[in-house]
Amino acid sequence: MMLLSIENLRTYFYSRPRRAFVRSVDGVSLHVAPGETLGIVGESGSGKSVTALSAAGLVSGAPGVIGGRIQLKSRNLLDGLERYVKVEERDGRVMAVEKDERGWRRHAETSMQGVRGKEIAMIFQNPRSALNPYSTVGRQLVETIRLHTRFKTENESKERALHWLERVRIDSPRLRFDNFPFGMSGGMCQRAMLAMALCAEPSLLIADEPTTGLDATIQSRIVELLAELKAETGTATLLISHDISVIQRLADRVAVMYGGTVVETGSAAQVLAPRAQVRHPYTAALLASIPSTETIRRKSYLQAIEGEVLDTIEVPRGCRFYGRCDRVTEAVRSRCAGLEPPLAEVAPGHKLRCWLYPA
Amino acid sequence: MSKTLLEVTDLRKHYSQRRGLASLLTGQGRVIPAVDGVSFYLRENETVGLVGESGCGKTTIGRTVLRLTDPSGGRIVFGGRDITHLSRAALRPLRREMQMIFQDLDAGLNPKMRVRAILREALTVYERPSDAEIASRIRELLAQVNLKDSKLANFPSELSGGEKRRVGIARVLAVRPRLIVADEPTSALDVSIQAQVVNLLRDLQKDLGLSYLFISHDLPVVELVSQKVAVMYLGRIVEMGLAETIAHQPRHPYTRILWSSLKDKQNTEREHRTWGVFDFEQPVSGCRFAPRCPLYQDKGRPAVCTDPASEPPLRDLGKGQVVACHFA
Repeated sequence: MMLLSIENLRTYFYSRPRRAFVRSVDGVSLHVAPGETLGIVGESGSGKSVTALSAAGLVSGAPGVIGGRIQLKSRNLLDGLERYVKVEERDGRVMAVEKDERGWRRHAETSMQGVRGKEIAMIFQNPRSALNPYSTVGRQLVETIRLHTRFKTENESKERALHWLERVRIDSPRLRFDNFPFGMSGGMCQRAMLAMALCAEPSLLIADEPTTGLDATIQSRIVELLAELKAETGTATLLISHDISVIQRLADRVAVMYGGTVVETGSAAQVLAPRAQVRHPYTAALLASIPSTETIRRKSYLQAIEGEVLDTIEVPRGCRFYGRCDRVTEAVRSRCAGLEPPLAEVAPGHKLRCWLYPA
Repeated sequence: MSKTLLEVTDLRKHYSQRRGLASLLTGQGRVIPAVDGVSFYLRENETVGLVGESGCGKTTIGRTVLRLTDPSGGRIVFGGRDITHLSRAALRPLRREMQMIFQDLDAGLNPKMRVRAILREALTVYERPSDAEIASRIRELLAQVNLKDSKLANFPSELSGGEKRRVGIARVLAVRPRLIVADEPTSALDVSIQAQVVNLLRDLQKDLGLSYLFISHDLPVVELVSQKVAVMYLGRIVEMGLAETIAHQPRHPYTRILWSSLKDKQNTEREHRTWGVFDFEQPVSGCRFAPRCPLYQDKGRPAVCTDPASEPPLRDLGKGQVVACHFA
């Protein structure tokens, strides 16, 4: 039984200057089991964050989510919403979308009630901007606790807030309780955010780039904290990061995203193994572009992925990575250029979207 | 041995902060020593990396050596000339020899100008070349930074992060600088694009004989591009030496923590230590790292570390490695 199942999710945005759809998330399927951490890696613009925002029902911008299933436990969060959307498709491509924004929003808000914050909690990249600058950290935490847990009285909720501040290893929580976000460092704010996310004891935590923008020393402490809390609370986590070392450290399973689709998924060991034989060319290139000890020692060139991240407006017919792929062979070239490869299972639980490895 | 291009001696930059009515009336505010006595030199065709946590004064050093900010004390010698107190007018011809790449990708790019106009402006700041010369220089610049001709007609908002960074670099190269202060040139980019930019910067150094002051908190990248690395803590250099030495045989406890934190992200087992964040508000007495120093704790809090009279000076350990610690 999966905790969260995302099936064939599509989230589009309309680009007015280009008069076309930005296919940010284009048919993504992901699964998170209870207690498991699923890491999503990929370059910026690959659709990682939009996938997470869609799951939390936080996509702003039109048309937004236009199709798919987001199943949390036994409930489809997008249930009954399809009647607000009319999608015109040609050869499996969305050509036009008609969406009743207001109807969708009203319906979606009702179905997300009691889910967002309670069942699904999120922490974001920039903790300072996610905290309310006009309220103390303690107040904000108490507010969340009273809203989502059984601790309703002033004293109980304050005790509980202090308990959570302690659990995220904030020094002298009683003093910090009355601090405003601007009086705390970035790492401290991220801890406070984490306390706020976990205090409702959600079944799913979405961590969107939780360490990006923090200092190297603070980053490793936050990663450490996430690992400890994972062991303590057993909260399932959807961890989004472009820092592969963070994913390596925390994720049980990994999904690699490129151009709005999942191109490889499997256990962390399968996907990120240093010398894996079977691997998506994009994953291989991504891993190779990180400076290794060897490259640094020999002062050799870094292996860059040539070209730029896929523009999800003009999505090619064939494989989305074809233009940047350095492993296209003559045998598969015509297929790579003309037909999008399916996500094929190459080993138990390990799936790839590449013509080099047909199922 | 190549010549010294930039020499900085005992550089200081203090910001004063005035808060509250009392300080306004008395005219006295708190002084924040962002850079507090930093000395280093940079040779021609060499890269010096500057690492440290945010707020330690890395960027302030970068800005001060270019005289974008005026120093509060010390001496800056560029190309054999003391530029510490040069007037704006006297600095102007020197500006073209020293340039900066900013962390913010959009910082140097006017959003209302096309790439062609941005490069053209940079080419005509110091010279009056003919249109034909401008066209050929623009082609040359594009080739240097691997950018397609078709991008010339684009506005910055139509470019991807990597392309913006390339235009920013081309713009800096247009004036043919000798020294480039690169302030976190890759931190806003994706890993794959980061690699492209790092390769590009190294190629340019080889081809054009540039010198870089490379400011970054991405330690592997710094180790890769730099010959020498200086580690900063709270406005001071605490350790400096060859890149390999600093990375693999660090002597200062802070450098060790910095480098091990990098490996911690991947490793499961690690020693657990609590150490706070640094704070300009705490007056420094003795070694400024002592409050967070694991070595200080291990040695049983020796008095010399917090003795106000003895802030540890940079000691020479041989092979160009210097370290500011009583016990390293």
